[in-house]
Amino acid sequence: MTDVRDETTGSGDGADSERQFGGSADADMQSQQGDIVTLSEGPPHAISAGSGPKLPPMLRSNPLRDPGDRRLPRVPEPCALVVFGVTGDLARKKLLPAIYDLANRGLLPADFVLLGFARRDWGDGDFEALAKKAAKQYARTDWSEEVWSRLSGDIKFVAGSFDDDAAFDELAATLDELRNSHGIKGNAAFYLSIPPKLFPTVLKQMERTKMADNSASGGWRRVVVEKPFGHDLESAKQLNALVDDVFTAQDVFRIDHYLGKETVQNLMALRFANQLFEPVWNANYVDSVQITMAEDVGIAGRAAFYDATGAARDVLQNHLLQLLALTAMEEPVEFTAEAIRTEKLKVLRAITLPVDLGRYAVRGQYDQGWLAGERVVAYRAEQDVPPDSNAESYAAVRLGIDTRRWAGVPFYVRTGKRLPRRVTEIAVLFKKAPHLPFSHTDTEELGHNQLVIRVQPDEGVTLKFGSKVPGSMMEVRDVAMDFLYGEAFTESSPEAYERLILDVMLGDATLFPRNEEVESSWRVIDPLEAFWQNHPPELYRAGEWGPKLADEMLARDGRAWRRP
Amino acid sequence: MTTLWDTTGTAVVQALAAERRSGGAVTSGLALTLVVVLEEKDTAEVEAAVATAAAKHPMRVIMVLRHHIEAPQPRLDAEVSIGGRHGPGESVVLRMFGRLALHAESVTLPLLAPDAPVVAWWYSETPEIIAHDPLGVFADRRITNVIRDSDPAASLQQRAVDYAPGDTDLTWTVITPWRAALASAFDTASSPAKSVVVKGNPVDPSAQLLAGWLSSRLGIYVPVERAEGKYISSVTLDFEDGRNVQMTNEGYKLLMRRPGQVDTLQPFPQRTTGDMLAEELRRLDADGPYGEALGAVSGQSGLNQRPAVRKHIWHDPALAAQEG
Repeated sequence: MTDVRDETTGSGDGADSERQFGGSADADMQSQQGDIVTLSEGPPHAISAGSGPKLPPMLRSNPLRDPGDRRLPRVPEPCALVVFGVTGDLARKKLLPAIYDLANRGLLPADFVLLGFARRDWGDGDFEALAKKAAKQYARTDWSEEVWSRLSGDIKFVAGSFDDDAAFDELAATLDELRNSHGIKGNAAFYLSIPPKLFPTVLKQMERTKMADNSASGGWRRVVVEKPFGHDLESAKQLNALVDDVFTAQDVFRIDHYLGKETVQNLMALRFANQLFEPVWNANYVDSVQITMAEDVGIAGRAAFYDATGAARDVLQNHLLQLLALTAMEEPVEFTAEAIRTEKLKVLRAITLPVDLGRYAVRGQYDQGWLAGERVVAYRAEQDVPPDSNAESYAAVRLGIDTRRWAGVPFYVRTGKRLPRRVTEIAVLFKKAPHLPFSHTDTEELGHNQLVIRVQPDEGVTLKFGSKVPGSMMEVRDVAMDFLYGEAFTESSPEAYERLILDVMLGDATLFPRNEEVESSWRVIDPLEAFWQNHPPELYRAGEWGPKLADEMLARDGRAWRRP
Repeated sequence: MTTLWDTTGTAVVQALAAERRSGGAVTSGLALTLVVVLEEKDTAEVEAAVATAAAKHPMRVIMVLRHHIEAPQPRLDAEVSIGGRHGPGESVVLRMFGRLALHAESVTLPLLAPDAPVVAWWYSETPEIIAHDPLGVFADRRITNVIRDSDPAASLQQRAVDYAPGDTDLTWTVITPWRAALASAFDTASSPAKSVVVKGNPVDPSAQLLAGWLSSRLGIYVPVERAEGKYISSVTLDFEDGRNVQMTNEGYKLLMRRPGQVDTLQPFPQRTTGDMLAEELRRLDADGPYGEALGAVSGQSGLNQRPAVRKHIWHDPALAAQEG
């Protein structure tokens, strides 16, 4: 879990990509729309009731949904969202506000129930009050009492601890009651906003009460899991086996909120909707790729979690490797969850670590320093961090991808806390022209051509190339051409959580990594962690772009980090 | 902001280029050009709407105000600004006097953003035949607003007569929340609809379009029955399996009533003209469902098969008035 602030600056207009990434639901509808005849022949008054073509009494075919009708939003089926751990930080800051925002945008089904479960002596009203306060404080869209009053009747609470059989029986009974009273049809998504160590208890309870069973419930049952997905390959496998066993594998949604970001989805549009970039998107033209996720904040009260985890497990294993997979993957055969995950998995499996980890894998830890005009303390001086801690707050590594497309192209991946600014970007650096007809002095300021996908902030794309400096001399200098997502669509875009929760309810798994992806990622991280066991992190001053060793790592290859 | 009195189209183009340079926004991604045809009295409303829409779509706005076609001397006044009261985009206000008003395209064509789609919007007084207005001929998308005409129902019928793919009307945009709610109600239906009734104002274009859309999609005749209210007050759905859903407009809320289930109240978003304009600008291709709904309202067929490109028909209102 990274700092929650990285969620707040979204921009762009979500609806287009929602349509674009709509997945298979539309296709289903299309195939069932064939027998619908439009009544444009003759005046409407000539048509008597019932003279139209008989529609097959099929449950799924909705005559009002036309794939050509792109104004209608994707609205999920009636369902309940069951949240475990409603009092947690994530639920309050992200989840509950996202539900409100969805309601405000008219994207919740008319029959919807938000069901909270926690160990509190609460009634429905207490939970509603908490949810209202959270939504009011953190919602992205304007506050409207009317929207809330619509939601407030649909907010239920069941009290109990996770090892309490009676509480889970009550939860299951409540879901059954809601099926009739609120018309949710047995559909429910369970959001596990709880520490991973509680997963087995909760999942066993769901298995016992048959809450996770699609056929027993007569609808769909899905589960949403937040990272961390384990702390190494072994624990990830155990966790996956457990979750996939209680639910079926396709009903498990692992949230990596980075994938809910507009720019990340735009990366696929950029690559696969255009003819311009794909021909040069390979080792013939690409010199190297740099993927950066920098944060200016420290660990802010998460010492217990962070000190045991470190930057590599916290960020590299999930966000950065997912960005790498999306950058490097082959074109999926179709735009469906299965096809995209297949291509991502191929890349993740092809990732290689450098042979010489000592030279090409760097970990660092911030020392005290000055950042944004303020003095900040060293990592080891942070509250609750042991003074001899060897956890890393910075990690950089050179990865390779053993495929025909990428053989020989280094992927430099880095993440860190207390770096000068908060920025996430993917930079594709192209090779220099094999021959320049200009004299050496004319092109001194010409660097690599670059295509930079700025994930946050200032979402957009930058293309950097050489251009003549005006004047009588031939002088070539790098210039940047900017596409600002936030300028093109100034309205703030849906929050990543909004998008992802909506996708869960719609059953669209395109933006969720599946279990094999998580396991392949751990296969990359585990050897690094093993190597770092005996290598204490190098200190870097807070407010610097990471330890010197990281700069040397690139200098050794004749390259330098891009300053984001 | 640059204001130009009694000027030429070339000077306006130069003023826009100068504004762009001095504003520092040398590279800005324009998605479209919006040409708004309006009258002086509508300026405030149009400016508010355009500012809202410009926040969602990067665009150049060209506002065309035509004055005194009969004036002896043609004259052009212009106002060029970037990021002002018309939202974050670029905007040009053109006031045309005399015969120039009949040749508005001579000033607007050089001002269109290169190779970006053009949307024309008549804020009020939809031309009877869009091909009479050269601004409607080069536009890829045309937005009308028949509710502001003196006889909206007749205007809507005329829209069907004059329809070409790429036309839409804001009375159709208004009912998107209704259509979304109805589509959701059908998501859970297990049998086809037996009868559907729209209640509201039978001459309201939005009520007519909603009924037209429902009948074109469901294959049954959907009437508009008179009820309280100026717009759409309720829709009743009866399914073949005996299920029944009633949806009632309760101000900015939608009440959904089904026997044997708890009533649900959904918010109906309170949308401004700007929000609706923004919805229109989201898609710059033809809106097929609108064509079908309009076809069902007017009893005309094959609306969506008509050619999308119009040919300009010379029309001189002064001459027409003389002959008239």
